Amino acid sequence: MSEPLVRTRDLTKVFYEESRGEVRAVDGVDLICNGGEILGLLGANGAGKTTTLRMLSTILRPTSGEAWIVGHEVRNAPEQVRENLGFYSASTALYPKITARETLRFFCRVNRYPRGKVEDRVEELIESFGIRDFADSRVEKLSSGMKQKVSIARTVAHDPPVLIFDEPTVALDVLNAIELRRIIERLRDRGKAILFSTHIMSEAEQLCDRIAIIHHGRILAVGTLQELRDTTGHHYLEEIFVHFARTREPSEAQGEAERPGETGP
Amino acid sequence: MDPGQIWTLYRHEIRSALRERSIVIASILVPLIMYPTLLWVGFSAVSFLQGQAEAVTTRVGVAPVPELHQPLVDSLAADRRIQVVPWEGPDGAAATEIARGRMEAWMELTPPDQAGAAMEGNAQVRVLFTGVREGSRSALDRIEALTDEHRNRWIAEWRSELGVADAVWGDYAVVMEDQATSEDITRFILALLVPLLTLIMVALAAFYPAIDATAGERERNTWETLMTVSAPRSAIATAKYLYVATFGAVGGLLNLAALAISLRWILAGAGNGMGEELVQGGIPFSAIPVIVAGTALLGLFVAAGMLVFAVFARNFKEGQSMITPFYVVILLPALFLQSPNLEFTTGLAAVPVVNVALLLRGAILGDIPFLAGLITLISMAVSVVAAVALAQFVMRREEVLLGTGTGGFWGFITRTLRGRRTEA
Repeated sequence: MSEPLVRTRDLTKVFYEESRGEVRAVDGVDLICNGGEILGLLGANGAGKTTTLRMLSTILRPTSGEAWIVGHEVRNAPEQVRENLGFYSASTALYPKITARETLRFFCRVNRYPRGKVEDRVEELIESFGIRDFADSRVEKLSSGMKQKVSIARTVAHDPPVLIFDEPTVALDVLNAIELRRIIERLRDRGKAILFSTHIMSEAEQLCDRIAIIHHGRILAVGTLQELRDTTGHHYLEEIFVHFARTREPSEAQGEAERPGETGP
Repeated sequence: MDPGQIWTLYRHEIRSALRERSIVIASILVPLIMYPTLLWVGFSAVSFLQGQAEAVTTRVGVAPVPELHQPLVDSLAADRRIQVVPWEGPDGAAATEIARGRMEAWMELTPPDQAGAAMEGNAQVRVLFTGVREGSRSALDRIEALTDEHRNRWIAEWRSELGVADAVWGDYAVVMEDQATSEDITRFILALLVPLLTLIMVALAAFYPAIDATAGERERNTWETLMTVSAPRSAIATAKYLYVATFGAVGGLLNLAALAISLRWILAGAGNGMGEELVQGGIPFSAIPVIVAGTALLGLFVAAGMLVFAVFARNFKEGQSMITPFYVVILLPALFLQSPNLEFTTGLAAVPVVNVALLLRGAILGDIPFLAGLITLISMAVSVVAAVALAQFVMRREEVLLGTGTGGFWGFITRTLRGRRTEA
C-alpha cells in the first residue's frame, strides 16, 4: 500500500495564555488521509479542528509530535509542505483590488507552478470553475458565489495533491454550500487527499469517506460512517458524536487509541 | 529565498497598492501636488494682499513744520499711498485718532536733543503709530524711508556749505560687501528645507503602505491566505518590506521633484524677483545622486521601522496608533538640523536618520566630509539590516501570525524579555 498523503503522529499543540496558563488545544492527534479520500474532522467549536489543520498547513508550529504532507515534515520542510497543499477556510479571503485572473496567476506563481505553464493553468482553472464571465473583474466587484469559485480555484491553482478545507461552508448560503461540496467531491475523484473540518453533522455524513471525531483536542474515534454506526449502535452521526463525547472523555479515549475503527491509524 | 517568489509577491503588493485610493493619494499625489498647490495658493494670496494694500490710501496726520523741512512733508504728500492730513493738537488726541482708525500715524518735528541743537534748523521726527495695524506699520516705514532721504539731502547741503568734499566725506562711510551670492543664499535655504521635507515625505509616503501590508492583510482576511503559500515567511517579509520602502523612497523623490518644479515655474513667475533669485541657485547637479541615494536609504530605514511596529496591528486604527510614535520620533532629529551651526561630525554620522539629513544638507552645500559620508552608509546599512531581521523575526512568531499578541511591539518585547510565550 502506498504511503498516505497526510499523516500525523502524536501531534500536539499547547498555547500559553496569560490568564489560563498552558492550554492544550490539540493533544496527541494521530491521523492519516490517502489520495482520493475525504477525511472529515468533526467536532464542536473549540474542539481543536482549526488548530490541527493550521499545524498541517504550517501556519502554526506543533509543540510536539510529527506531521507529514506528501512525505514532507511540517516543521522541517514547511515550504515543501505548502507547495503540496491548498488551504481554504471561511476566513481565507481574496485580494479585493486584483482581478480573478490576476489572483489565479499570482497563486500559481507564488506556489512555484512551472513558470511556462502558468497561463495555460490559469485558463484551465477559469474554464473548469466557470469563471470566464468575470475573470477580468476585480474581486471586490464579485458576488459572494463568484468569490467562492475564485477562492477554491486559487486553493487548487498550483494543483496540490492535498487540500484542506477548514469549515468552508460556515458563511455560505445553502446553494453555495451545495456547489462547494460538489466541487470537493470532484477534487476527491481526481485523486486529491482532502481534509475537511466541520461541526455540521449532515455535511460530514454526506461528504466524508471517513470521519474523525475530535473533542477537547483529542481524536475520540475515526472510521467510515458505517464503522462508527457499528461501533456505537447509533444510526445518526449526531447520536454517534454525542455517544463518543459522553462516554469517551479524553482521558479514557486516549488509552484506546489503537483500537481499530475507533481511533487513529 | 527564491528571488522569483519575492518578485512575484512584491509585484502583487505594488499592484494592489496602486489600486488603493488612500495609498495613491497619501504616497503619490500628496508629495506631487503639495508644493505646487501650496506655493501657488501662497503666492496668489500674497499677491492679492499686496494689491489690496497698494490700493489702500493711508492717512497720516502732520503737525505744522518749519519751512526748512517742508520738503519732507511734500515728499510724503507725493506718495500716492499716503494722504497727508494737517493735524494739530495734543498727543493724547492724536493717539485717540490712531486708535479709532481715523488716522494711521501722526508726525511732528520736535527740537533736537542737546548735541543736535548745535546744528541750526535741526529737528527730530516724532511719529505716533500703532503696531497692531498693517496700515499703521507701513505708514511708519514710509515716513522713516522719506525722512532718511530728507536727512541725507539736508546733510549734503550742510557739507557743501562747510566745504567738506565728497571724497573726504566718503572716508567715513561704512561699505558692506556680502560675500554670499544669490546661489549661496538659495542653497543655504534649500539645505535647511530639503532634509526636513524629505524626511517628512518619506515617512508620510511609507505610512499607509506599512499599515496596508500588515494590518490591511488582517482586516481583509488575506493574512491567513498569504501564510499558506509556499513562499518562506522571510520572502513574504522581504517583499512587504521592499514594497513599503519603494513607496517611501518614491514618495520622497516625487516630493523633491515637485519642490524643484515648483521653484522653477511657480516662484520664478511670481514677479517680485524672489523666485528668480531662488531659481538661480537651486540644487547643484553633483548633489542629485547623493540626494537620490539618501532618500532611498531613508525609505529603506523608515520602511523597516514602520513594519516592525505595524506588524502587530490587527486593523488600520491600531496600525495608525502603533506607527505614529515612530513617525514622530524619526522627525525629531530633523528639527535640530534647523540649526545651521550643527556640523556633520563622525559621531553624528553614526546616528541613523540624523546622518542622512546631514548628508543631504552637505550635498546641497557642496561639503560632504568623506569619513562622515562613509560612516553614514555603514550606519544606515547596519540599521536597515537589523530592522529587517527584527521584522522577519517578529513575523515568524505565532502571536503575530495569529494576531493574538497584545500591547503591540513593546508588549512583544516585554514578553520576550521576560521569557513569556504565547506557545508552549
